[in-house]
Amino acid sequence: MSAAAPRRIRLTPWAGLAALAAVPFIDALLPGGLRLEDPMSEVFIYAILALGLNVLTGFTGLLNLGVAAFAAIGAYAFAIATCEIYPFQLGFWPALGVTVAAGAIAGFALGAPTLRVRGDYLAIVTLGFGEIVKDVLVNLDTITKGTQGINPLPPPSFLGTPLEARGQYWLLLAFVTVTFVGVRALERSRVGRAWISIREDELASRAMGIRPDHAKMLAFATCAALAALAGALMVSRLSSSGEPGNYDFQVSILALCIIIVGGIGSVRGTLVGAIVMVGMNSIVLVKLSELVGSPDAPGAALDEAQGLAKVGVFLRTWAQNVLVNPTNWKFLLFGLALVLMMVFRPQGILPPRPLHEAPPEGGEEGA
Amino acid sequence: MQRAVAAAEQLAILALARADGLPAFAADGALSSWEVFGQQLVTGLSNGMIIALIAIGYTMVYGIVELINFAHGDLCMLGAFFALTAVGALGMSEWGGAGGAVGLVSLLVATAFFCGALNWSINRLAYRPLRKASKLSLLVSAIGASFILVNLGLFWGGMPMDVFAGGNSSAAPKAFPALVEPEPAAHLGDVIVSRPDVLVLLVTVPLMGALTWLVRFTKLGKAMRAVAQNPTAAALMGIDVERVIGATFFIGGSLGGFATVVYSIYNQTVSFQMGYRMGMDAFIAAVLGGIGNLPGAVLGGLLIGVVRAMSDQYIETRWTNAVVFGILILILVFRPSGLLGAKLREKV
Amino acid sequence: MICTMSRSMFRTTASILSAIAAASLLLAAAPAAQDGAKTLKIVSSLPRTGSANSQTTSIVNGIKMAIEERGGMVDGYAIAYDDMDDASPQKGNWDPQVESANAKKAINDPAVVGYIGTYNSGAAKVSMPMLNKAGLVMVSPGNTHTGLTKPGTGEPNEPAVYRPTGKITYFRVVPADDIQGAVACEFCRGDLGAKKVFLLHDRELYGKGIADVFRKSAQASGMEVVGFEGIDPKASNYRSLVTKIRAAAPDVVFYGGTTQTNAAQVLKDLRSGSCKVPFVTPDGTFEKAYIEAAGKDAMSPESGPVYITFGGLPSEQLTGLGAEFVKKYQAKHGEIPEAYAVYGYEAGRVLLDAIDRAETKDRAAIIAAVAATKDFQGALGTWSFDANGDTTNRMMSVNTVKDGEFAFVKAAGGGAGKAN
Repeated sequence: MSAAAPRRIRLTPWAGLAALAAVPFIDALLPGGLRLEDPMSEVFIYAILALGLNVLTGFTGLLNLGVAAFAAIGAYAFAIATCEIYPFQLGFWPALGVTVAAGAIAGFALGAPTLRVRGDYLAIVTLGFGEIVKDVLVNLDTITKGTQGINPLPPPSFLGTPLEARGQYWLLLAFVTVTFVGVRALERSRVGRAWISIREDELASRAMGIRPDHAKMLAFATCAALAALAGALMVSRLSSSGEPGNYDFQVSILALCIIIVGGIGSVRGTLVGAIVMVGMNSIVLVKLSELVGSPDAPGAALDEAQGLAKVGVFLRTWAQNVLVNPTNWKFLLFGLALVLMMVFRPQGILPPRPLHEAPPEGGEEGA
Repeated sequence: MQRAVAAAEQLAILALARADGLPAFAADGALSSWEVFGQQLVTGLSNGMIIALIAIGYTMVYGIVELINFAHGDLCMLGAFFALTAVGALGMSEWGGAGGAVGLVSLLVATAFFCGALNWSINRLAYRPLRKASKLSLLVSAIGASFILVNLGLFWGGMPMDVFAGGNSSAAPKAFPALVEPEPAAHLGDVIVSRPDVLVLLVTVPLMGALTWLVRFTKLGKAMRAVAQNPTAAALMGIDVERVIGATFFIGGSLGGFATVVYSIYNQTVSFQMGYRMGMDAFIAAVLGGIGNLPGAVLGGLLIGVVRAMSDQYIETRWTNAVVFGILILILVFRPSGLLGAKLREKV
Repeated sequence: MICTMSRSMFRTTASILSAIAAASLLLAAAPAAQDGAKTLKIVSSLPRTGSANSQTTSIVNGIKMAIEERGGMVDGYAIAYDDMDDASPQKGNWDPQVESANAKKAINDPAVVGYIGTYNSGAAKVSMPMLNKAGLVMVSPGNTHTGLTKPGTGEPNEPAVYRPTGKITYFRVVPADDIQGAVACEFCRGDLGAKKVFLLHDRELYGKGIADVFRKSAQASGMEVVGFEGIDPKASNYRSLVTKIRAAAPDVVFYGGTTQTNAAQVLKDLRSGSCKVPFVTPDGTFEKAYIEAAGKDAMSPESGPVYITFGGLPSEQLTGLGAEFVKKYQAKHGEIPEAYAVYGYEAGRVLLDAIDRAETKDRAAIIAAVAATKDFQGALGTWSFDANGDTTNRMMSVNTVKDGEFAFVKAAGGGAGKAN
């Protein structure tokens, strides 16, 4: 038993990676209506965004309600750096570099002045930052084109060749894998342990020689850089920056839900959370709402109830007007799923291992 | 034939527009810059008081369970639908005089009860099972609750009633009848204080007084403060913590109910999406004043209302949100626990 | 004890999740089975979740009627229809990722021969180049952004960027903003005799675009623009803005926006702020919901006149085919069709008509057939698609509100299209 366990742990990630890499081929075997490639690409982008958020909110314990703002900064930095209507016209990779740098700078810019702000006060500062960024992007329309969006943007390329759908998928997979490995390495590194110790007890970690301000700034910058990367990858895939409204509060909320549903502070959990939340959005919810709002079922049942005269007619009209429309159920199902997941599994699907199971060198947390 | 009549009517409408519509301002006279300022102040304070009323309910709950309650605004939204249904079913917009006043008071109380009961139930179903879990799980549960409430509002707006436009488009905003006519109650120069402005004042100030009294001087208030400070110690002293939390949710929700009726009469619009802005404003106001601090929430609400009005006037409407959030961030940078909030205790 | 509980709970959760995943796989796979050889598929991609739901429901009703009218068959082929949602629940509005996924889904399904969409011009910018590359025809019932089709009206690279193959595969049945904004301006200046206008917009692509055109035409025709403000469409009221408007003393207020972006609220606050000047809005408010949302008081003539411009004639002014459509729609849905229903119906009909005319039923032939649409007898009049893919219908109407109903005031614009 004890001999088998470590081997399985080593094998699982490789098997998972291989399965994900095979998705485009699996798609070819599946019936026409179902394509996993697209929802999975979306999962990867949200996973990168959420991995970034996990550094700040999961590891360091700083609640960020404005992570979409960093994605917006990344998206627009990428768009302005590459689009043919601007003078820069960088290639895909140099532009990604610019994007990540812009994100990190934005992270510092927000993190530095707000180091004193704590807890839920910090949460609203980040929320406000998100709203300000969105408004600035809309209002400075001479630069950002306002709600028009910037297009066309170059697709992801590799060694100078623009990638087609499959190539893009694998590139995204590669980005997620690198981010995942990188964030895990960070978690176990000196700075990662500093983040976690700040989350657990800032005063004690200061006493142990950690400089919370430095560590927090670094967390902000890492979070922002990853979020910016996610934003850039998204717009590059869509070939359009979309409008600033695409990076609003709701996106931040989705990213937050991903890391909490996955298991706050857990890197593997974040991936699972992204699959669950985005999968729920783009597959389960669509199918489920079609089922719930099936046009025939309630109508037929209510026809019989028509005998009840006024009440029956009232209900029937109501049902016909609203309830039979499947899309009218999406908010409800989404919300219900969130509440149920939290009530039945408040710690998330794959919570991080408790600290005492971590490698013994995590000395700061002891005592 | 019919078309000819219609065409004649249209010409008449056009003529009316020319004769009647255009000189409207000539009679009014241009506003002097002081009058503009005064009018904006009145608008800002009225809006601010409504925000404050939502925010105190918000901040009360926060003070006890430390929950950023994303569902609070949407709770108010459902309250508005409840009020609109009542108004429509009873034909209240036709009531005048004393009947109207009694009706208005009953509407306020009924909506407050509805919102209070709803908030209590949400706590029971979505938050109470998570009492031992992390704050963030609670937050996600609140987000989920908010989505559910939004969807219920969407369903509600599709009810085949006249006030909901016969239910033909559930997503469209609904008109809330002007139970208090938007007519001037007082003129201060050219600055108009309208009757809805007065209504806001008449509802908000007594409620704030009553709440202060409740928290300061009643047994329940004492228990609430004790639970907020230290739930374990409160439980050890024989306080039924869950009951106190339930009561707080009820009271916080019912304040939202009062606020939403005033809001609906003031703005004359109800929409299933209005909860987002209501909740957001309340959240900002509560944080600005210092979370959990009742006078702080009032101060925060008034400040937001006035800043919004002034920014609309003297900057540009499109920058107003950014200005509000910019001021919020600045204040928090210099006063990290809000205007009136107690300094966060560093652990010792 | 507690430990085992939570473990079993985890197992339950895991099994529930996997059951949901399995069920969704099955559900997703099910519809694909019925791909018959002689079935052609039309899809629409519109924001069905959230605030635009009522408009898009009208559009979908219109499309469905166009299909039903032909008994679900065109030239011996059965027509299947898939109503796709390009909004996501957590956004409550169109989502570029969803729109992109919808376009891909349509492209990958060989049975799909026509794509009706989008509602938002921003969404069109995402799917247009994709569909163009794939050679799938796109007919929009709602996009009015000029840059999508007309060279020289938007960015220098527009509309070429949306046509990577150089071919025209995108068509729209609604007149673009440039026509409507100019008509609204001309109405305010000429018919209302306004000399000073206060322009508002909702900062969205549609609203701002039309307000920009209005501003340009106003400046060209010597009307003074005393204010140009982008408002926050989510604000609870606009009283402070109304004070600002009062201080600027315009003769007319124009709001480039829609019912969703709070046009009714702007009107209400204007009226309760005792500002009685004419209030003019574009076709984004030409729906009953606008009247309902504004309420009786704000819409009564004593409060001040209200005008709405619309690209086409209102239902009761339609004759011929248009009138028939209105009758049929009324019989089926029990109400007069909204403006958007007509757009949806027109988009559906023109597409089916092209499928009918196409020799072979492949995508390329259908694009050619749509592009060749000439003197089409539609519900909006008789019109053609021009070289850019725009409708030649320039017939606009100005409407007001009387006794809680829209009332036709005058036709404007004219041009190639005429009411038959």
